Amino acid sequence: AALCRRAAPLGPMPNEDIDVSNLEALEKYRSFTRYLRLAGKGFCVWVFWVFTFFTFMIFLPLSEEPKTDISLPRDKLLRAKEIKERKKILKENHQNCFLQCFSLIAVLIPLDEVRAEWEKTSGPFHKQRVAEHCGIFRDLFKGATFTPWVTLRVEYSQEDEHFVPVYYGNMVAPSEASSPPAVSYEADKGSLWTLLLTNPDGHLRNTDSEYLHWLVTNIPGNDIKLGKEICHYLPPFPAMGTGYHRFIFLLFKQDCPIDFSEDIRPMPCHSLKMRTFSTFDFYRKHEDAMTPAGLAFFQCQWDSSVTWVFHQLLNMREPVFEFVRPPVYHPPQLKFPRHQPLRYLDRYRDTEEPTYGIY
Amino acid sequence: GLRFASTTATLKTETEADTSENEVVAPDFTNRNPRNLEQLALARKERGWKTTWPKREFWHRLRLERTQHYVEAFVERCNGDVVVSASTREWAIKRHLYSPKGVTACRNLGRVMAQRCLEAGINFVNFKAVIPWEYRCDSIQEFEKAMQEGGVILREPRRIYQ
Repeated sequence: AALCRRAAPLGPMPNEDIDVSNLEALEKYRSFTRYLRLAGKGFCVWVFWVFTFFTFMIFLPLSEEPKTDISLPRDKLLRAKEIKERKKILKENHQNCFLQCFSLIAVLIPLDEVRAEWEKTSGPFHKQRVAEHCGIFRDLFKGATFTPWVTLRVEYSQEDEHFVPVYYGNMVAPSEASSPPAVSYEADKGSLWTLLLTNPDGHLRNTDSEYLHWLVTNIPGNDIKLGKEICHYLPPFPAMGTGYHRFIFLLFKQDCPIDFSEDIRPMPCHSLKMRTFSTFDFYRKHEDAMTPAGLAFFQCQWDSSVTWVFHQLLNMREPVFEFVRPPVYHPPQLKFPRHQPLRYLDRYRDTEEPTYGIY
Repeated sequence: GLRFASTTATLKTETEADTSENEVVAPDFTNRNPRNLEQLALARKERGWKTTWPKREFWHRLRLERTQHYVEAFVERCNGDVVVSASTREWAIKRHLYSPKGVTACRNLGRVMAQRCLEAGINFVNFKAVIPWEYRCDSIQEFEKAMQEGGVILREPRRIYQ
């Protein structure tokens, strides 16, 4: 806004709606915490005097179109019984703990049980939220979201008998992920599943397409080995200098055995052209028979084992990238700049050499 | 290395035809991962807001809210989106606690929150948005200790400018 001219404000001023004439009748905060909570809620409200770089992303209240939901259909749970049971447990808790009142700080919750319960109750929503922030739905499904109701447990086993688990947003090294992981999930007998591992960030030629690392279809129940492996496992290969890539495990539930003959890749497939993939088109093709049910993803950075993958498996020279910073912004050049030092002219020169130094 | 051209001739031609196009790589690479720049400490932090408190110079911020009945912890981005949250309102945590408010609750919430943050890949969080005279009280100190023992570092690394 131009500060040199006095004009009417461009938007509503703060505290405009409060009637200042009768101060005693107003409700007071009486504590700092109450004020801070209200101030925190007004964090994202658009105000005309804030010019952040991200103005177009956050502060504009986006006209939210309801996003298409492609998750598994859920039966409506009978809440009344559950609530009664929970109240009973809480009452028992109270009666038991009355005796332990003296050493309360030392009481520690069993974290494994809490996690198991969380996976059943609010886990899917939390996972959906984290996935939304990592941009998974935006990149893989062009905005359509789903809630991963099925808990997908993915673990990479190492040589010294310990496991590297994959949760939602973990960091795993490519050397740890060189062999196919142990995947487990709860499945009824007779149900068919599809497991897919993609990398939406790693494509070396085209930014919008992904690389397919593993595709196993028509998995009966829990056993991955009994399913038809359409594309065999390729270890992750995030190129050096490109930073962290997301590797996403998707579990789809199939209604009936699907014929994937169009998607069959040669065994073994080391051609990056054959591995180029788009989850959106793949899902669109088999939309009627498949629904996404499980989700797990990890972040991966360059490692020395990636060099091995490039040289031995993909049979190519390893690409190395460097981070290029966006150019520094300078406002359009004025003929008579005000209060600028002599090095102002250096900013608009074509050559890199600064002629005027610190002046 | 050595190659036995006679016996593996056909295999070699197949794999070569397969991987011959692999070498074609575009000179520019764009990483679409929104978390990439933060994890490399290259992303912008919102500087400014220096006349107000709390400041917005962070990638992820840990906010502890203690109400009369519950304790909640949120890890947010600077635009306000909640990434990971834990509260004593959730059944998973409530059933093991005697009271959903108080020092025990804060401590256990800290442990659960640390586990969830590490699973989501958030290792560094900013814990500056605490009111100074409340920072010294037992529950917030216990929460902070539990988060640090859980493995989350409560200091965000400085952005790399050069």
